[in-house]
Amino acid sequence: MKKSTEVLVIGGGVTGCGVLFDLAQRGFKCILLERGGLSMGTSGRFHGLLHSGGRYVTNDPDAARECIEENMILRKVMPHAIEDTGGLFVTTPWDPPEFADKFYQACLNVGIPVEEISISECLRREPLLNPDISRAFTVPDGSVETWEACQTLTENAAAYGAETLTYHQVVDILVENNKVVGAVAKNTVNGEEVTIEADLVVSAAGAWGGKIAAMAGCDVTVYAGKGTMIAMNYRMVNTVVNRCLPPDDGDILVPIGSVAVIGTTSVRVENPDSYAIEDWEIKLMMDEGEKLVPSFKKFRALRAWAGVRPLYQEKSAGMDLRDVTRKYALLDHTPHDGVDNFVTITGGKWTTYRMMAEDTVDLVCKKLGTERPCRTAETTLDPPHGQQKFFKLTQRLEKLEKGELDGQLICECEIVTRPQIEENLKDNDWNIINDLRRDLRVGMGPCQGGFCTYRVAGIMHDNKNLSAKQTNKALVDFLQERWKGMRTVLWGRHLRQMKLDEGIYMGLLGLDKLPNELSGNDQARIGEVETEGFYEIEPDAAELSTAAK
Amino acid sequence: MSRYDVVVIGAGLAGLTTACQLAQAQKKVLLVSTGGGALLLASGCIDVLGFQPATSKQPVTDPLGKLDAFLAEAPDHPYNIVGKANVQTGIETFWEIIHNSTALEYWGAADKNWLLPSAAGAVHPTCLAPTSLANGELTKGGKMLIVGFRELRDFYPALITQNLNEQDLGVEAASSVINAPEPLAKNMNITPLELAKAFERSDFRRKVVQSLQGQSKQFNRIGFPAVLGLKQHAEVLADLERMLGKTVFEISTLPPSVPGRRLFEGLKASFLQAGGRLIIGSKVVEGLIENGRVSQIQMETANRLRPLTAENYVLATGGIYGGGIQTDLDGQVWEPIFGLPVESDSNRHTWFSERFLSNAGQPVSQYGIQVNEKLNPVDSNKTPIAENLFIAGATIAGADWTRGRTGDGLALATAATITKQIA
Repeated sequence: MKKSTEVLVIGGGVTGCGVLFDLAQRGFKCILLERGGLSMGTSGRFHGLLHSGGRYVTNDPDAARECIEENMILRKVMPHAIEDTGGLFVTTPWDPPEFADKFYQACLNVGIPVEEISISECLRREPLLNPDISRAFTVPDGSVETWEACQTLTENAAAYGAETLTYHQVVDILVENNKVVGAVAKNTVNGEEVTIEADLVVSAAGAWGGKIAAMAGCDVTVYAGKGTMIAMNYRMVNTVVNRCLPPDDGDILVPIGSVAVIGTTSVRVENPDSYAIEDWEIKLMMDEGEKLVPSFKKFRALRAWAGVRPLYQEKSAGMDLRDVTRKYALLDHTPHDGVDNFVTITGGKWTTYRMMAEDTVDLVCKKLGTERPCRTAETTLDPPHGQQKFFKLTQRLEKLEKGELDGQLICECEIVTRPQIEENLKDNDWNIINDLRRDLRVGMGPCQGGFCTYRVAGIMHDNKNLSAKQTNKALVDFLQERWKGMRTVLWGRHLRQMKLDEGIYMGLLGLDKLPNELSGNDQARIGEVETEGFYEIEPDAAELSTAAK
Repeated sequence: MSRYDVVVIGAGLAGLTTACQLAQAQKKVLLVSTGGGALLLASGCIDVLGFQPATSKQPVTDPLGKLDAFLAEAPDHPYNIVGKANVQTGIETFWEIIHNSTALEYWGAADKNWLLPSAAGAVHPTCLAPTSLANGELTKGGKMLIVGFRELRDFYPALITQNLNEQDLGVEAASSVINAPEPLAKNMNITPLELAKAFERSDFRRKVVQSLQGQSKQFNRIGFPAVLGLKQHAEVLADLERMLGKTVFEISTLPPSVPGRRLFEGLKASFLQAGGRLIIGSKVVEGLIENGRVSQIQMETANRLRPLTAENYVLATGGIYGGGIQTDLDGQVWEPIFGLPVESDSNRHTWFSERFLSNAGQPVSQYGIQVNEKLNPVDSNKTPIAENLFIAGATIAGADWTRGRTGDGLALATAATITKQIA
């Protein structure tokens, strides 16, 4: 299949989606290619924090300034995808006491709205926090629903005529006479190849930016900085809580959905597609969590995951990732590598995606010899399907109790109903339970899909005319996917939960004995989930990244 | 002087059957448990050996006959300690308890597995099954209609029938989803237990049968989720068969399991009838071992610890799921009541395999108490730690049920082994 467009965007993370929307709004014909689902890479594998900039204010004031500016803009342009949790920076007994004043002054210098509050006020707002906290500051942190945001951007771009191709992996960048003229992508679901001719290609592939650039014969060094996070089974704080110290491991606790996420570590890994979550990371997160919330370990760790930050470095030197700037890099490959019509945007933060997109599209305009002003900072985006997202479980529970939530409750932990699932299945070409998880939070609660996965598979089978084998495979794949995230945090009560899930799927249902080998067209309908396997626990990878640390 | 002859800790299949047998043998038995035990989550059948080798997808038809081959491949499985004879005795004794002292009916023998449909449409090989489940035997062939309720989210007839049909098992299955009659109509979040209680009403049953009229004619058997009554299950089943004029069978659903509940209630009643004393909802927190004997255990009651003494003690607290084996973040693995030694690796990376659905069993599930032939706990030198303490069922090292689907058989075999010694 052949297609042609003006600008081709590679990468369906928040940056790529942001670039796509900006291009489309400025009147460019554009297509986005993503090898998995939207926000499946780094954008979907962070703690969900909308930075106030406070985290970087002392060691990277430029990045901090960008964060606060964009934070304020995003609250206006996509309010439906942002929960205004507010943020706290607290000095625990383990943090350098002199840092607090430095932090406060730096916030003032950068322009981050900061206020010191009394300890009693801090504890009134967040009663589970360590009572031995000595200083507390409020900043405008927030939390974002990344899947919601990416879908918003691509749907709003579609209204301007832009096209988004998910499950399309770029296999080649077409270069003629040192000019990029398009790309070849493979549909990972049915194996079909698509050639897309384009006047210009933007690589927004994040940590994979080096690989994409290499396909065009360009040299881009992007470090993959792994960050590991743990979701706890309880939203123990309603405010983003930061340790008041220079950026370190396990220094942020973010309430998101019905859980709280503690993060992160920072370890350089060689391959952004394969890295390990290690025991020391889990233990460290749990220990650091305990310093913020003294009862932390009494809650259940539900799941651990890691994402890879794209950290751009002009020269491939230096190993301490926390010193690599969190500012982004926009590379015009004409002066950089002598290759025309090719731009790479990488690095940066989720929070600054819009600014990165604006800069990128400004450069695209310049390169294509046209002048079109950016309007994304003033445009309020329409929510996808016009739906209102409920961030807190209690909001969904209230709806349920008032009888406003119709139909059968399928995922009891996250309060997801059958009509919601059926509606989502209608809009979705893929039969991947994981896509439902991202859209609806199915299976993300304490039982990690123990009960609802079977129900969702049954509904999927009935609604989409799947074969039994396809359904079995979708079920096994989803459980396996959950397993990867769970097994690093299995001990105590959560391990007992796993044994219950094992009892259901093996003992009662006999899922392990059912045929699920797919071939040919069958395989095509189910889709592959292998792009999900960004993290593998392999002894080799574990040793490698420990050595790097 | 001891107040009890035996204190049994744990009300799963192992604890309940041990307690029943000892009480029936005129022993003064106390059964203490924190809760209802794993029976409430299980299928209600007795799995002795379902797959050999464990990774095979072909079900075992003769569990006792295949036991030697299974043990040759799993030498660390505690079936090796109790031996084949006790496996057989365990099954027979269980059947006798059910037959003689409960209102339930179980069918089967140690040398034959039933092949029953699961709620996903897989083949569930099991040794003993209650009538309603055994009626679903797949090798009988013929045409079966599997009926679900729109209101019940834990049962998907179309998926079950398609999986059954695609495996060429000799049955021809078709599915139907009907609306639950009043009083459950349009109540979309009912549990299997609510449905089971509704089935005990004759008007409810009649309306169900009415909804199936016209559909059921061409079929030999009609299958339902396992919700056909709780206390009056036998009457419900008989009445449905009479009205439909067909054999009726049940398929076990997601927890809470109604057949599991029936079995739990049946064994409980049988134990009480034999004069046993039952405390459910209290936790045994500590056991004292002195001079090679358990001298006392401490039970948590509402406001204080209460010491209990007995001649013999049976520990049937289950494995990791039951809480008989505990684990933590630091990789520690322990037995919480007596502090019995558990050999384990503190590196949690070694606890799990790559796959969630692992037929070889997760390594962590093999952790448990080492025992001798009498089922006394032993230390690393194989020296008994307490001669009046016996370990039953899943608490024993290597007792992971996922290996070959052996959990219930082991519970019964250990119950038989222990009973022989202290009855």
